[in-house]
Amino acid sequence: MTSSPDPTGEIAIRCDGLSRSFEHGVAVDRLTFDVPAGSVLALLGNNGAGKTTTIRLLNGVLQPDGGSCSVLGVDPAVDGTAVRRMTGVVTENAGLDDRLTARENLASAARLRGMPSKQARRSIDDLLERFDMASHADQQCQGFSTGQRRRIALARALVHDPEVLFLDEPTSGLDPAGARAVMELIEHSARERGRTVVLCTHFLSEAGTSADLMAVMHHGRLLTFGRPEDLAAQRWPGLEVHLDLGRPPSLRVAQSLIDHRAVTALMPVPDGAVLNVRGREDIPSVVALAIECGASVYGTEARPKGLEDVYFAVQDELRDVTPSAPKARESAATSATSAEAAA
Amino acid sequence: MTALIHREIAAGTVSGRPRRVRLNWPVIRALLAKDIGAARRSKAVVIPMLVVPFVLLVGLPTGIGIFARTGTSPDLSGLFSHLPSSMARELQALPQRQQLIELVLGYLVAPLFLIVPMMISSALAADTFAGEKERRTLESLLHLPVEEHDLYVSKVLFAFLPTVAASWVGFTLFAISANVVAWPIMGHVFVPTWRWIGLIGFMAPAVAALGLGVMVRVSARARTTQEANQLGGAVIMPLILASVGQTSGLLMMKPYWIFIAGAIVWAVALVLVRGGMKRFTRDRVASRL
Repeated sequence: MTSSPDPTGEIAIRCDGLSRSFEHGVAVDRLTFDVPAGSVLALLGNNGAGKTTTIRLLNGVLQPDGGSCSVLGVDPAVDGTAVRRMTGVVTENAGLDDRLTARENLASAARLRGMPSKQARRSIDDLLERFDMASHADQQCQGFSTGQRRRIALARALVHDPEVLFLDEPTSGLDPAGARAVMELIEHSARERGRTVVLCTHFLSEAGTSADLMAVMHHGRLLTFGRPEDLAAQRWPGLEVHLDLGRPPSLRVAQSLIDHRAVTALMPVPDGAVLNVRGREDIPSVVALAIECGASVYGTEARPKGLEDVYFAVQDELRDVTPSAPKARESAATSATSAEAAA
Repeated sequence: MTALIHREIAAGTVSGRPRRVRLNWPVIRALLAKDIGAARRSKAVVIPMLVVPFVLLVGLPTGIGIFARTGTSPDLSGLFSHLPSSMARELQALPQRQQLIELVLGYLVAPLFLIVPMMISSALAADTFAGEKERRTLESLLHLPVEEHDLYVSKVLFAFLPTVAASWVGFTLFAISANVVAWPIMGHVFVPTWRWIGLIGFMAPAVAALGLGVMVRVSARARTTQEANQLGGAVIMPLILASVGQTSGLLMMKPYWIFIAGAIVWAVALVLVRGGMKRFTRDRVASRL
C-alpha cells in the first residue's frame, strides 16, 4: 500500500474486548485493536476463526455479548444504521439478486442508501465503466461468472463512496487472473480515497501487498496484530538476502562472509547462499567481500519477511502451544497454500 | 393491516431505553420495487400469481356456468334435502333453470376465493423470507442502512399487496364472466352480492394475512423456499380444508357473520405478523445465516 496510514492520527475502527458467542461456542473472544483511518487491515485466520462474525459485529449486523467497538466514532451496537451508512460490504458470496441486472442491483443499493437518483446514476455508470462491466450492465446477473459477480458486488459496496470497506473473502472462488484483478480493484479503491479497509482473505500474497496492518485470529481470539514489517522484525531481526553465486559458496567465501560484522547467519544453497544481514545498507559491503574472496556474484535479492511469514510463524507457535493445534495448523497451511497455489 | 403499519411501532431498545420508531416509506418503497422487479422475472412466483387464480377463479367457474347453461336442467330436489334449510329455501324459490347456476356460482365456488389468497400469500412470503436465504442475498440486505422494521414491513407488503390485488382482480373477472355466461338464464346481475363483497373485501385479505403470518414464522426456521413451503404446508393445508368447509356456509348466513369471522381471522393474522416483526431482528436473522 502506498498511502501512508493514519495521516491524521484518527482511529477509524476500535474494538475493546469485543466478544460474541453462539449456541455452538465462542465466535469472537475479547477482541481488542485499533485501526487508524486510511489503513488496510488484513484479517486472517482459518475457517471458523471469527472473521465474518467480526465484520458483522463491526457493521452492527450482530450485537456483541461483551466489550464494545466503534466505527468512525459510532458504536454499531447503538446506531447500526448510522455505521452502515458510512460502510460498504462485500460478503463472502456476492449476494447479488440474480434476477436483477447488474445496473438494477447497483441502483437498488443506491436507492436504499438514499442517494439522489442523478448522483446514483453517475456513480453507477462510473463504477461499471471502471470495473469493465459497462457492456454487461443491463444483463441479468444470473449468467455472470464468479469474477463478474465479485466486481459487481464490489461496485455495489462502493456506490455510495463509503469511508470504510469491509471485504469478506472478496477473491473466494476466483481463478488466479480474476483474483488478481479484483485485488487490484480493491487496492485502487482503497488508495484513491484513503479508505479504511478490513480485508478477510485466504490469499496471503495478495493480502501481503495490500495490507498496512494484519490481525491473525484463531477460534475467535486475536493471536497477533500489527504492521507486518514490525511483527516480522520482532521475530526475525535483520534482513534475509539471497546471494546468487551460481554454485554453493566455497569454504573460504563462506567463512569470510560469516566473519563480516553485518552477517548474523549464513545458509549455503545450491546456487549461492542465503544470508541474514542487519539491514539493507549492509548489502553492498557483503557483495564486495564475496567478490574480493573470488566469488562471482550474479545477483542479490533482499527478501524482507512479511505478512505471509508472520502468519505461518503464528500458526507454528499455535501448534507448539495447543496440543490439538497441529491439525489446525496443517489445515491452515493447506488452505492458505492451496489458495495460493490456486492463485 | 395498512392502518397497523401506519402507526408508530414500539420496537427494540437502544442502550436499554425503549424507543419509538417511524416507518421509512421511501426505503420500504425501494425495497418493494426491488422485490417486485425481481419477482416479475421469476416463474416460480409469477405462475402461482397469474395462472392459478385465472384457472380457479375464472376458468373453472366459467366452465361450470357454460355447462349449467347448455345442459338440461338437473333435478336438484334430492340435493336440497342435504343442504341447510335456509339455503335450500333460497334456491327452491328460484326457477329450476337458475338453481344450478345460483348453487354453483353463487355458493360452491366461494371457497376458491379464500384458497387462492392463502396459496399466493404463503408462496410469496416463502419466496421473500426463506428465498432470500436460499439466494444468499439476505446478508447483503442486512449490511444496508435499513431498519429492521422497514425491511420486515416491505417483505410483508410484498407478499400481501399482490395477493389482495390478485384476489380482487380475480373476483372482478369472475363476476364479469359469471354474469356474462349466466345472463341468458339469470337475466340479471347475480354476483356480487353484499355477502360476496364482505367475503372478498374483508375475509380474503384476512386469510391472505393469516397465510402470510404462518409463513413468516415458518420461514424463519427454513433455509430454502421449498423447506418453508413444506413446513408451511403442514399448517396451511388444514386451514385451507377448514376454509373449504366453512366458506359456503358463511354465504348462507347473515352478512355480519362474515365480518365477525373475518375479524377473528384478522386478529389471529395480526398477532402472527406482529409476533414475526418482534422476532425479525438483524441479530437473530444473521445468527441463522
